[in-house]
Amino acid sequence: MHFDLFAAGALAPGVASITDLLAMRRAGGSAEAANLELPSPQALPPNERRRASQVVRLTLACAEQALQASPFKADQLRMVFASDEGTGEVCQQMLQSLATTREVSPLVFHNSVHNAPSGYFSIGHQNRQSALSVSLGRESFASGLLCAVSEAQSSGQPVLFLSYDVPMPQPMRSLLRVEQPSATAWIVAAAGTVREHDPLASFELSLHAPHEAEPAAAAWLPATWADNPSAQGFVALAMLADGPAECDFPLGAQRLRLARVDGVARC
Amino acid sequence: MSGIAAFSTLHAAGVDNTDSWHALTAGRSGLRPNALAWCELPCWLGEVAGVDDAALAPDLAEWDCRTHRLAWMALQRNGFHDAVRHAVARHGAHRVGVLLGSSTAGIRSTEVAYQRRLAEDRWPAEYDYRRTHALDALCRFSAEVLGTAGPMVTISTACSSSAKVFVMAQRWIDCGLIDAAVVGGVDSLCMSTLHGFNALQLLSSEACRPFDAARNGISIGEAAGYVLLERQPAQINFVGGGESSDAFHMSSPHPEGLGAQSAMRAALASAGLSRRDIGYVNAHGTATQANDRAEAAAMRAVFGADAVPVSSTKGITGHTLGAAGITEAIAVIQALAHQVLPPSANLGQIEADLGIDLLRQARSASLTHAMSNSFGFGGSNCSLVFGRTH
Repeated sequence: MHFDLFAAGALAPGVASITDLLAMRRAGGSAEAANLELPSPQALPPNERRRASQVVRLTLACAEQALQASPFKADQLRMVFASDEGTGEVCQQMLQSLATTREVSPLVFHNSVHNAPSGYFSIGHQNRQSALSVSLGRESFASGLLCAVSEAQSSGQPVLFLSYDVPMPQPMRSLLRVEQPSATAWIVAAAGTVREHDPLASFELSLHAPHEAEPAAAAWLPATWADNPSAQGFVALAMLADGPAECDFPLGAQRLRLARVDGVARC
Repeated sequence: MSGIAAFSTLHAAGVDNTDSWHALTAGRSGLRPNALAWCELPCWLGEVAGVDDAALAPDLAEWDCRTHRLAWMALQRNGFHDAVRHAVARHGAHRVGVLLGSSTAGIRSTEVAYQRRLAEDRWPAEYDYRRTHALDALCRFSAEVLGTAGPMVTISTACSSSAKVFVMAQRWIDCGLIDAAVVGGVDSLCMSTLHGFNALQLLSSEACRPFDAARNGISIGEAAGYVLLERQPAQINFVGGGESSDAFHMSSPHPEGLGAQSAMRAALASAGLSRRDIGYVNAHGTATQANDRAEAAAMRAVFGADAVPVSSTKGITGHTLGAAGITEAIAVIQALAHQVLPPSANLGQIEADLGIDLLRQARSASLTHAMSNSFGFGGSNCSLVFGRTH
């Protein structure tokens, strides 16, 4: 499947924008990254901002970066959000309540669904399009990208794809090791469906038979979050700089190949 | 469009396809007063019999959890496993995808392990988060049982999860990524949803009564369901799906069901049909005051008042949350196969002014196309249309 990328966002400790990510890629690494302070989501109504969970702050802030460079309005975009566990401290709070008082807060419960970030995004931007929230564990980036691109392909409409992980507090962290947040945002459309705007880059996405070698870890990403499943999105977007012409990501018994096909570095 | 090659359903009122269809058409509810040893809430539940004693094959022991036992039972029944084996032989394992929905996946395993951790100050040695709780575990377990090697995804959009799998599977088929798809969904009873819905004051103290004037909330059930979709049309087909977002509230539906309306209209457009072509709607019909009123308003807006026969089968199965989409899609597939519309159970006085033709008893019909509605938290809506070739 051939698709165009029109705008992108990247957010993690040490990466405040796609420009930061590409600079880090070109430099081949970064200094020790400071903790990331996640902003209150300005897209939400004031009463929801203060109560917004870490994952809602992360995803809406990352999406905002892409929206600022997007040729499409926020309410025109179909939504595909992908994450491994995807709720972080909300999941931990609910399990703690269930194991002790059994009194779950109504807010914690409705924030505990995997599709809370896409739900809040749609409310904040009054977006009434289709919203998907998906997971395939440590392969959530590849599975989500496949869903986003096939939706763009079959609908002929632009799709906002978010791939993210949010820190899990202890004791759950010892089972699910995510210490720092990381997220990328992609605004994509099927090749040829948008003629009035120039894309940042064009890609070919395809499925292939498995091969023996594990994908090489990205040594240039900060070690505190380089192993997050969503860090694969940073590796993929680094192709906008001087990265490789193609990347392979495991997807079940196959691998998903993302190849840059326009060959022109515009960033 | 894609053909329905096989299906398997399992819920509180039906241990297999035949049993389920008899319960649905007789209005025989599987809901019972809560007798769970680990939950004290005074509600009714749709608990599947025999899950505690069900055993996975010995080589699958590391996947053992309540959710995977439900999955295993559904995969082994109704000839489903054999049908997938044939599809794998026909298309090649890598051309058969797996797309499954779940809201809470295996969180019951972590609830138990978390409680033991509080007492013993360490996680139980045998507890495996990846294989018995994580959202992807259901896909990986199902693929291992069935021998598929195609692309996989777990969709988790609360109560629309296992309806949306049909729409994405159709996209993967249309894009040439796969030739067949195992779609479905599983959710098991767990403290998270029981206490969570209790906190929202949405749990009924009796067996739920969708669209009844005196309805007072949902009854939670557990279920597993699978459908084998193939590129080539069959006698019964998935003909189109529509999705939308309410953009209104995380856990309350839009009062006029605006998102529900646009999902139903998008499903009709995707199927290339008009509202007059639909002969039955299996409503989301959860039996909360707000949902049923909003959904009735949406159906009136799309189809006209009293224009299409409607039922909610949740009075029989309970609200099976992430498995509701697949459970009710299979009810619609069976309605098309048997040319009979299943009724709404536990119905006393229908709420006045809903303006829907609610089925009190099973009704014979010449049915060519039917719709299933699924709506979830986050304002996540999905409507599916199935059709029969006469």
